[in-house]
Amino acid sequence: MVTWEFPPRIVGGIARHCYGLSRALVKKGHEVYLVTLDFPGAPLYEEVDGVKVYRTKVELGHPDFIVWTLLFNHFMEKKIAMASKEASFDVIHVHDWLTAPAGISSKHYLNRPLVSTVHSTEVGRAQGLHTPSSYLIDGLEWWLTYESKRIIVASYSMKREIEGHFRLPQDKIDVIPNAIDPEQYEKNVDRQAIRARYRVGDHERLVLFIGRLVPQKGVEHMIRAVPKVVKEHPEAKFIIVGEGWSKGYLESLTKSIGCEDRVTFLGFLPDQDLVDLTLSADLLVVPSSYEPFGIVALEGMAAGVPVVASNTGGLSEIIEHDRTGVLVYPGDPKSIAWGINRVLSDPAYSNYLIQNAKRRIAEIYSWEAVAEKTLKVYEAAEENSPT
Amino acid sequence: MSMRIPPIPDETYFLCMLHNIGAIMPERSLSIEEIAERTAMDPSKVEENLRKLISSNYIEINVVGGIKRYHVTINGIRKVLSMYS
Repeated sequence: MVTWEFPPRIVGGIARHCYGLSRALVKKGHEVYLVTLDFPGAPLYEEVDGVKVYRTKVELGHPDFIVWTLLFNHFMEKKIAMASKEASFDVIHVHDWLTAPAGISSKHYLNRPLVSTVHSTEVGRAQGLHTPSSYLIDGLEWWLTYESKRIIVASYSMKREIEGHFRLPQDKIDVIPNAIDPEQYEKNVDRQAIRARYRVGDHERLVLFIGRLVPQKGVEHMIRAVPKVVKEHPEAKFIIVGEGWSKGYLESLTKSIGCEDRVTFLGFLPDQDLVDLTLSADLLVVPSSYEPFGIVALEGMAAGVPVVASNTGGLSEIIEHDRTGVLVYPGDPKSIAWGINRVLSDPAYSNYLIQNAKRRIAEIYSWEAVAEKTLKVYEAAEENSPT
Repeated sequence: MSMRIPPIPDETYFLCMLHNIGAIMPERSLSIEEIAERTAMDPSKVEENLRKLISSNYIEINVVGGIKRYHVTINGIRKVLSMYS
């Protein structure tokens, strides 16, 4: 498995996905060699629940991101070649464009089939292709899908997107949803103490956002909804968890609409703190404008927190409106406020959503099921020609 | 649904460059002169960006042999990665 993100190098959902999938494959009796990038404090080699994790040190640098990406792929190829002396790989599985060059060249020199998971696309993330770098990333994404024997996506909306954009045959793409570890959320926490740690009083209602602070996540629209929520629920307090390049803009926006006393930016939180905070929240908002899957919605559902999410992409497939959560119009603060107010105003409705959502998680979104489906894709990739 | 995407601030691009040239831990930290050389930027501009990023905890300073050297913090790395993931 080749990925640029693996814990503790966590930014978005890719790290969590690779962590969950690789461990589940090992649990099923398979050997997983995972090649990723180094991170301060993490060892260059370790075994994580049986997964052999090789972290690549990037020995050369360049200020340009694309040049740097191509450089780190070179060092990853070297690492993959080294690992291939210890074991004979059956399949090479690459996650997103960032590690595409290393995966593609490994496919050719190891003569093994390549499987790729497309977590998102440049054209979706950037809402179009506006710069030379965007065009190159889009090209690398196409190249990865072309070279892959099988392609995995997490939602039907993503399948439609890449089928159309990269002109791919539909029978080359498999839809396997993301998953979570529901056991992580099966614990009792001292809600009062945790809320106090983040300065949320007993009488206040904690509305949570978790995600990267980038435009596609729609945090701006949620912040613009805050005055409309506070008007009906002055006890609502919004906590925003995550890092991202638009953080400064979002903090300024919060101040400019006079909501800084109702909105707190926490930055990045370690996983355990994140679980505790989620378990202590009254509501989780996923206001994305573009969301190929939306693993954070699953985490909220597993934690027993009602979820208000945009009716877009994978979120529309995870959440059944009025049954397992509330779907609102993407990019529409009025609609987001409506969804939040609806849940905060009706505890019985909130409880109904929570119970339905928990059942749904247990039925569909387990890593064991995802590993089982992924193994079937690997088998299909190995059939007939090796590459 | 189209979005109004705010421009990426200059200091974020600068942070990205510092990350890409490898200054991501104390032992790989760089002086202002070294950063200016490797990024082809004016030292005064480098200093200005560093000041902003230090105040946001995305850059840390360590002093080696009386010279201030700078590297990207773990939060800074996460900010950079959010641009491309």
